[in-house]
Amino acid sequence: MADELRELFKYRYLLMQLVVRDIKVRYKNSLLGFFWSLANPLIQVATITVVIKYVMQMDIPNYSAYLLVGYLPWMFFQMALLDSSQVVLAHRDLLRKVYFPREVLPLSVVLANLVHYVLAMVVFFAYLLFYRFFLHGAPIALTALWLPVLMALQTALVIGLAFFISCLNVFYEDVKYLLTVLLNVFFYLTPVMYPAELVFRKLDALHLPVLYKLYMLVPMNALTNAYRKTLLPPFEALTIKGTPVASQPLDWSLVAGAGVICLLVAVAGYAFFNARKTVFAELV
Amino acid sequence: MDYAIKLDNVSKSFELVREKSPSLKSALLSFRRRPTQKVLGLNGVTLTVAKGETVAVVGKNGSGKSTLLRVISKVYRPTSGTVEVHGRMSTMLALAAGFHPELTGRENIYFNGAILGLTAADLRDSIDRIIDFSELNDFIDSPVKTYSDGMLMRLGFSIAVETDPDILLIDEVLAVGDAEFQEKCYERIDAFKRAGRTILFVTHDLDNAAKVASRGIWLSAGQVRADGETAQVIAQYLNSLAHVHEAGEEGIARIQSGGG
Repeated sequence: MADELRELFKYRYLLMQLVVRDIKVRYKNSLLGFFWSLANPLIQVATITVVIKYVMQMDIPNYSAYLLVGYLPWMFFQMALLDSSQVVLAHRDLLRKVYFPREVLPLSVVLANLVHYVLAMVVFFAYLLFYRFFLHGAPIALTALWLPVLMALQTALVIGLAFFISCLNVFYEDVKYLLTVLLNVFFYLTPVMYPAELVFRKLDALHLPVLYKLYMLVPMNALTNAYRKTLLPPFEALTIKGTPVASQPLDWSLVAGAGVICLLVAVAGYAFFNARKTVFAELV
Repeated sequence: MDYAIKLDNVSKSFELVREKSPSLKSALLSFRRRPTQKVLGLNGVTLTVAKGETVAVVGKNGSGKSTLLRVISKVYRPTSGTVEVHGRMSTMLALAAGFHPELTGRENIYFNGAILGLTAADLRDSIDRIIDFSELNDFIDSPVKTYSDGMLMRLGFSIAVETDPDILLIDEVLAVGDAEFQEKCYERIDAFKRAGRTILFVTHDLDNAAKVASRGIWLSAGQVRADGETAQVIAQYLNSLAHVHEAGEEGIARIQSGGG
């Protein structure tokens, strides 16, 4: 793996070019440019908020903020993985003609999506500050300094999965359909639209607290919860079926465990991809 | 280490029967691997190209010419045998492969150069020469989707040649472009040769092969059938084509006499 990383470093300029090209091409012909990539999550969050608050009439204070802080990382996860499923086939002409380390392809789509994600997070912070100073919202906690660590861990996870997906899609073209289905399912299983405390409440009532620990070791569950706890104040007690559900402090040991899994996925994905990348040119 | 390219008993086989779009379903359902037929793209090729040589590879379609180029450029990994290359290699990209239609000529030069393994600093040094040689100064900041095929070819050739590779691989692309620009390409290739650089190109254009290359290699069914002075190799190759042609005509005559 050391040789491969060295070669990858040699081709870092190509990686940068691919990322820049991806971003440039995506917005070259659209006037609103970057705002298109923001419009999607914002409209989605607004829609879900309206449904939860006014249709289902669940009164959760500041629901949009709690939803958005989970939804933006999910968007990064979903978009990067969907793009990665197509990236090797999209460059088939190039693969068949020139040698370059093939891993720059999945890496480039992950990094391009990371750029969008970082920009979206900047807008999210502007939104928090706006609330703080104009609408008497809560101050941003010092724990927000963990954000770069959480983003780095998520990026490692997404890179690892992108290696698996981009590679498998060369061999089996229906991987992208399977991926679409799985992303849909996991969107609802991941505590994006609801707090993780509700999962805990259910599993605790079933006397299965161990299962909750396992649930929290699934990287996106742990990360979504960690983003929410570090960036926003604890939510006010919710009342579900007459009993209050209190906000729980973040269990850092579970975040650390999930973080280790993120890094293992990255290493395993890279090894999996490297073991198969030499035949891509013959298969695409 | 006076050679640029050295192949030792290189073979490359491909699986002939492969489903067009393999699916997870078929993979899960077929517990037994179906026997796949292997096809030899290259069959025990041994050759050494010295530094400064210009080599033309000729042969019929499917004789393994492009496979040879791809094995040398590391696009394909040989099934057996070893390939050694000394020096920085550059491949002249076929028309569409290395360009993005939405990006300008200038942006594409940086992108194309990056694919060939160059850095930003390398490209800053050579970008003016690339643009000058391509004669596309007036169009260089327009998206390449507005370019003609000839303009793309000029840009591609300029990038490949003006980034100073030690070894240049060309796969049947010199035939495009007007006569004047082609003449300029040949001049540039001559200068390239004089500078001791190595060129390996695949072509069907035998006149050009004889004009540019000092050495010819004739591939047939993945094997080297002849290797030597270009004119002689081409003569042998043409001779074999004539025989095949005669054999074909005899066959037709026999069928006609038998049937009539």
